[in-house]
Amino acid sequence: MTRWMPRLDWMLLLIMLCLAVFGLVTLYAAVHQGGIVLWQRQVIYWLVGLSMFFIVCLIPIRLLALMTWPAYLGALLALLLVPVLGEVQMGARRWLDLGVINVQPSELMKWALMLLMAHWFASRHASSLRDLSLALLFAVLPAGLIVIQPDLGTTLLLLLSATVMVFAAGLPWRWAAYGAAASLISLPVLWLNMHTYQKQRVLSFLDPEADPLGAGYHVIQSSIAIGSGGVFGKGYLHGTQARLHFLPEQHTDFIFAVLAEEGGLIASGLLLLLYGLLISRIVSIASRAATRFGAMLCIGVAAIFSLYVCINIGMVSGVMPVVGVPLPFVSYGGSALITMLAALGMVMRVHIESRDKLPWQRPGSPFA
Amino acid sequence: MTVSTLEERGRFERRLLLLQWFAGLLLLLLFVRLADLQWLQHEGFLLQAERNRINVVPILPTRGEIVDRNGKGLALNAVSYNLTLIPERVENISAVLANLQKLMHWTDERTQSLRKRITRSRDDRPVLLADKLQWDDVAQVAARLHHLPGVDVQAGTHRYYPYGPDTSHLIGYVSLARGEDVQAGILSTEKVGRRGVERAYESLLHGSLGSQYEEVDAHGRRISAFRRVPPEKGQRLSLSLDVDVQKAASDALGDRTGAVAVLDVHTGEVLALLSKPGFEPNRFITGLETEQWQEWVNDPQHPLINRTIQAAYPPASTFKILVSLAALQAGSPLSHQSTQCDGFIELGERKLRCWKRRGHDQVDLHKAIVESCDVYFYELGDQLGMAAISEAAQTWGFGEATGIPIGPESAGLIPRVTTGKGARRWYQGETMITAIGQGEVTVTPLQLARFAAAIANGGTLLRPELLAGQPADIERQIEVKPEQLQAVRSAMRDVVASVHGTAHSSMGRLAWTSAGKTGTAQVVGEAQDDEKPENDKPLKKIHQDHAWFMGYAPYENPRIAFAVIVENGGHGGSAAGPVAAAVVRAMAKAEGVDSEQVMQPDAVVLTDGAEGD
Repeated sequence: MTRWMPRLDWMLLLIMLCLAVFGLVTLYAAVHQGGIVLWQRQVIYWLVGLSMFFIVCLIPIRLLALMTWPAYLGALLALLLVPVLGEVQMGARRWLDLGVINVQPSELMKWALMLLMAHWFASRHASSLRDLSLALLFAVLPAGLIVIQPDLGTTLLLLLSATVMVFAAGLPWRWAAYGAAASLISLPVLWLNMHTYQKQRVLSFLDPEADPLGAGYHVIQSSIAIGSGGVFGKGYLHGTQARLHFLPEQHTDFIFAVLAEEGGLIASGLLLLLYGLLISRIVSIASRAATRFGAMLCIGVAAIFSLYVCINIGMVSGVMPVVGVPLPFVSYGGSALITMLAALGMVMRVHIESRDKLPWQRPGSPFA
Repeated sequence: MTVSTLEERGRFERRLLLLQWFAGLLLLLLFVRLADLQWLQHEGFLLQAERNRINVVPILPTRGEIVDRNGKGLALNAVSYNLTLIPERVENISAVLANLQKLMHWTDERTQSLRKRITRSRDDRPVLLADKLQWDDVAQVAARLHHLPGVDVQAGTHRYYPYGPDTSHLIGYVSLARGEDVQAGILSTEKVGRRGVERAYESLLHGSLGSQYEEVDAHGRRISAFRRVPPEKGQRLSLSLDVDVQKAASDALGDRTGAVAVLDVHTGEVLALLSKPGFEPNRFITGLETEQWQEWVNDPQHPLINRTIQAAYPPASTFKILVSLAALQAGSPLSHQSTQCDGFIELGERKLRCWKRRGHDQVDLHKAIVESCDVYFYELGDQLGMAAISEAAQTWGFGEATGIPIGPESAGLIPRVTTGKGARRWYQGETMITAIGQGEVTVTPLQLARFAAAIANGGTLLRPELLAGQPADIERQIEVKPEQLQAVRSAMRDVVASVHGTAHSSMGRLAWTSAGKTGTAQVVGEAQDDEKPENDKPLKKIHQDHAWFMGYAPYENPRIAFAVIVENGGHGGSAAGPVAAAVVRAMAKAEGVDSEQVMQPDAVVLTDGAEGD
């Protein structure tokens, strides 16, 4: 333990600690009225998550590389099982009951695909049409399964994070342009195949006032909460929108509005700054990674993480349609937090393994 | 290290940088959005948050009471109980309703309609199941409230009219605000005066809303209350009405259809204003308004019409007083002479009859009024002409609204005589018929009472006043010589006092000496020149004549003026007279004059024709 302690990236840990404080303080404001049971549970989740973080820190990257295919195939199998065995919750079949816990295979796939992409491009080139096509297939296969659940948010997240990784792996600009054009063209097709509630969310995003008590209610109320917070906020535990339950889902997806209402622009800006620091820290670890796999891994984590943040805050502040994406480290919920911390554990592991080494220089060798 | 490797590495670092910048840009954009919301648009959102949070709950004011001149309650606020139910707190609505039905003895239809009302209402707000309940009605439910979660019994007040139908037209009633009231800024839960005094003095009676500032959550539930502005109670109104007189008139009319108007001759204060049949204002129960309303609207007796001001009748012989005054003022020769009444007058080929077939022999103005000779007035009217009659009628307040504030009011009809091209030509016969108050001319009972008041007070035409203690509101002072008025007054006195007077038997023996004039208005098809059926068989009720009596009392020192009409009552003296007598008796009693003591000596004298007109 003490041997590798000094090799940890203390900056990353410090940012994590700040986020833990920020998240728990905000969550308390969101849940304190209903008793602090949820908050206490989240503290436990943090402890479990931090344990996971340190456990993952101990797993050599090589081992992770070996786990990628089994992880991906397992997640794919689970996704295939969802339509057969899945539980329906809130109109969508997303969950698998494993007896002890309910698992969302789409959540697993997000990370499994990220691992696979990192592994795939650790020894391959995004400028090879064959390799790129296969990578595309790896992404589209689970995406297709998830979109029919239906879960548009996770599908988008999956595809976007894969895109980021492909881009980082050196996708030629020309192809990137083709891809962008192709996805633009596919938008109408996507629209036609969307469920009514999904269309409604998009429509209400474009004009929330059109249906203020229905689909637009969430966004209107969260905008009011954020806007009424002002620059300095209404004071901790004094947010009226939160306290009087005008804010929907205020301890999960819409928790950012609680923070913005009570802490004002200062607190919400501070949180954005912390997120920015975290992202840039991960990217800097990626750039110093000793292996290309490690670097790609970090980029994948940073991508998923950034997407979470942008989609969530964008949605709560009314610049994105409402999709169910939690705010990392702040929203209530164990599995998202624990996987997020485990992912940071991988990043930390990459850092540990890259200490005193030159960044990767030789493509073609997965473990170089 | 190959070039391609270095290239590869370089491209990777560029991509990394690019992605990092892109992530930073996204975060910056989010920050810009937040700054827009929290800084630039802060004020607007703060307002919206406050509007979300704060609910200003109005506190309804208590309506002002209405009392009569002696302080007797005419419209009061009675304590009552409301039965309410909050749907979201009731687990099994059907079971609870069945339970309540048993306890409240509701009919199945009522329970069904309540069920419908509940399904239409908001889940989190109380639904009114029944109101105006007395404690005995709700005691059963109140005792079992803990078994009936979501059901509540609340104390409140409702408008109560102790005199019910007797004051229904005058006082009116209240009902929940409607669309137009709400547009005028009244809450839909407030009661607004309809008809009568309740409507005319709505602004005084209503009071003003108080308010309670409440903090509510997203479900509209009250979290806390923090500022209370108490409501202001409506003003208590003292009417000039003497409800005992009103009651006496109502009792005297019984279940007959008719109207009574009584005015103070000096101030124009309304002492009684009764229209029968009335309606029961206490019967307005929430949710049953329309049914009850339909019943009243379709009633052939038209209980909703205020006959004192909204019904215009032919004045019949009461109009002879006006014609007499007009003739005296105009100096018509006949007004100082006498004529021979043979029971009819010939007009070309037609015969206009007097009510008394045998005729009145020699008749002068005094006798013509006392015995209500028609022939005399045919001739007097003929001398005067339609224009003079019409002008005098308008001068004395006919053909125009009296200005009583509880309209809408009928103006009655006085034929206007116009000259020039296209003007209507009045035939001699029409003028003569008009002179005895038949033909086209119609008046309202209140106009007639006001006319009687003007005779009694020396020619001052007053605007009827409903509130007590108000100074006289003079419409106009009529130019009439005292001796002219006196001539008419003494004749009116003898209508009552003389054994030949048409109202002697009913009005002759009262504590207050009175003066008046009877009238019998023909209802259908029986023109003045028609042969009366020889056998005088009883006519169907609706074809019977309307009976009038108008006058004032006491004769020497007039205090009150009155007009009474009994629809299809028959002769004025016998049908309307006793009602007027009851009014005068009640007034005298109110003034402390006991009718028994001052009973006049001339016992029962049933005179020939005194019942006639």
